Amino acid sequence: MSAVAARRLADKELIVVPYRRVSVSALATNVVLILLGCFFLLPLLWMVFASVDANPDWAIKIPTPTLANFADVIGRADALSSFRSSLILAGTTTVLTTLLALLAAYPLSRMHIPFRRSFMLVILFASGLPVSMLVVPVYQIYVYLGWLDSLYTTALFLAASSLPFAIWLMKNFIDAVPLELEHAAAIDGASTFRILRQVVLPLTVPGIAVTAIYTFINAWGAFIIPFVLTYSPENQPGPVEIYNFMGSHGLFKFGDLAVFSLLFSLPVIVLYLFMSRYFSGAFNFGGAVK
Amino acid sequence: MLSEVRFEGVHKIFGAETAVEDLNLTVNAGEFLVLVGPSGCGKTTTLRMLAGLERPSYGRILIGDRLVNNVSPRFRDVAMVFQSYALYPHMNVYDNLAFGMRARGAAGSVVAERVKETADVLGLGHLLKRRPSELSGGQRQRVALGRALIRQPQVFLMDEPLSNLDAGLRVQMRAELSRLHERFRVTTLYVTHDQVEAMTMGDRIAVMNLGRLQQVDAPETLYDNPANIFVAGFIGSPRMNFVPGRLTTTQGKTAIEFLGVKTPISAGSQLTGETTGGEVTVGLRPEDLMWGRVASPDSTLTVSAEVDVVEPMGHEAYVTAVCAGETVTSRFPPRSGVRTRERVELALNPARLHLFDARSGRTILQRPVAGGADVRRTVREARKEEPAEGRSDLQRQTGARGAPSRAEEIS
Repeated sequence: MSAVAARRLADKELIVVPYRRVSVSALATNVVLILLGCFFLLPLLWMVFASVDANPDWAIKIPTPTLANFADVIGRADALSSFRSSLILAGTTTVLTTLLALLAAYPLSRMHIPFRRSFMLVILFASGLPVSMLVVPVYQIYVYLGWLDSLYTTALFLAASSLPFAIWLMKNFIDAVPLELEHAAAIDGASTFRILRQVVLPLTVPGIAVTAIYTFINAWGAFIIPFVLTYSPENQPGPVEIYNFMGSHGLFKFGDLAVFSLLFSLPVIVLYLFMSRYFSGAFNFGGAVK
Repeated sequence: MLSEVRFEGVHKIFGAETAVEDLNLTVNAGEFLVLVGPSGCGKTTTLRMLAGLERPSYGRILIGDRLVNNVSPRFRDVAMVFQSYALYPHMNVYDNLAFGMRARGAAGSVVAERVKETADVLGLGHLLKRRPSELSGGQRQRVALGRALIRQPQVFLMDEPLSNLDAGLRVQMRAELSRLHERFRVTTLYVTHDQVEAMTMGDRIAVMNLGRLQQVDAPETLYDNPANIFVAGFIGSPRMNFVPGRLTTTQGKTAIEFLGVKTPISAGSQLTGETTGGEVTVGLRPEDLMWGRVASPDSTLTVSAEVDVVEPMGHEAYVTAVCAGETVTSRFPPRSGVRTRERVELALNPARLHLFDARSGRTILQRPVAGGADVRRTVREARKEEPAEGRSDLQRQTGARGAPSRAEEIS
């Protein structure tokens, strides 16, 4: 019973429900958390306010409402093309990563592979390496192969760098699908392909979705790799474009920057909400075993 | 079509561990054979080898006349009910039932018809649209059964299918499984660790321990003539009492000396083995060791014992008593009024003794099979031979009702 419900009941039935006492440590914890929250919330607040302000600057203030900033950004060709670039980049990365992670994770989860444990640990280690470390050699390779300034080849590297974690994530999701279901299907007469398509895949959908969304969000926000590997303006994805807003367009246009940041965050926010559903509710093998 | 199943010299070795050792076992066509044993005895491995989920290290497995060692599960034409049920959680009951038939390429109309038939047999008709997560334990169990039934396989494999059900439901499903087997007569290999399930459901029971087959026999034979101490102790509840004894002679006849008394071997029994130095282990079923006051006239042997623990069970009481330094359990009538530390007289029928070689644990006494068991056996077999079409529904129901009563009797 929730506290509210308990109190409501208490009012009716004259039961004394003691109020929770606030301890000093709980108070301290909450103060610290609120302070930390401010660090994240204040920039967001600035973004929202500045985007609708006629005279924005770097301070948070009550805006003089206008939609001019939105009209300005939507009218800019480079802003729109950066959205297109980001979509291509993140989309390609996501498709590649998810597909490859699924193909790698299934045998890692199900088959007896020599040194599987060590392999998984290497993967875990690889997923922790900072990508910026690799930028210089990768740049040289791309120069050598003539792959520079293409969104698709850039996506290839983004996919490679996001694969280790994606494999790890996906493997855990596949591990959760009871092996007995595959045995049952095999005894039922299903071919390996049918087992994968009709039993394993549907049950791995939450895992695939989480991996895909996670990869997409990371690729959507990737800055250093596309910054180094692309140069023509029409190939610059969003994060690089934001950087350009601050530098190469001369004067700071705070309003445009805020609007662009806001618009650019929207897909991520929507996907996050979507993903949280998979993490909590849809993850359910109820009735499969026991 | 009914097929027999044969294991010929089958071994299964996992690394350094031998899970199944030299298994030779035939499941007759249409028979319900229960494979029973403690956990880790290799019974589930045996079942999985037959299903094709494990490959035997040595030996041959045949279904009908077909060697299936290298046949994948998909082509073995067996159906299995898993302990966990292993229902497809993302499919409703209809699709769960239909999965196997669809996988084998059956036409949609045939599938629909068979699903309906099977659902009716199992009383699942109103649940077809539900997902497994929306079903109770008993209903899930039925779906798992239905998924096996619908395929009309040559062999049914059941891996402790009732162990996840609560006690009441288990008794009910036990009867239902027996009824289904009466009706469809599919060769069945049923794995359980529960001796009550084994006794009530099996046409024959195969007892395994430590990877080795100990004995295969009809339930009553297994109970009356266990091949060794393990089988004797495993089948029967409360457990058989084992006390040390010696073979001697009295008036020119072989006699047994135990618990401070001496009795000649009864007329109907015969010694079948040698012992080393006359050392034997005497086995006494708790129901053969009776309270002196209510003992039947043929319980001619009496010993004195001090009561240690009284466990009232309602319809009877288990009394653990110390007798000549040995702890024995006896079945007493309810409300006997016997208390701890009281001295009581225990009576036993010399004809009901079991004798085992103290060293090897093997039985050395062939006893006559008890009369009642024999009769029941014949009735059951007679029923089997009757053609199914010749029986009316009423008869079928009476036959089915027989099963739970038999279950209650032994449990």
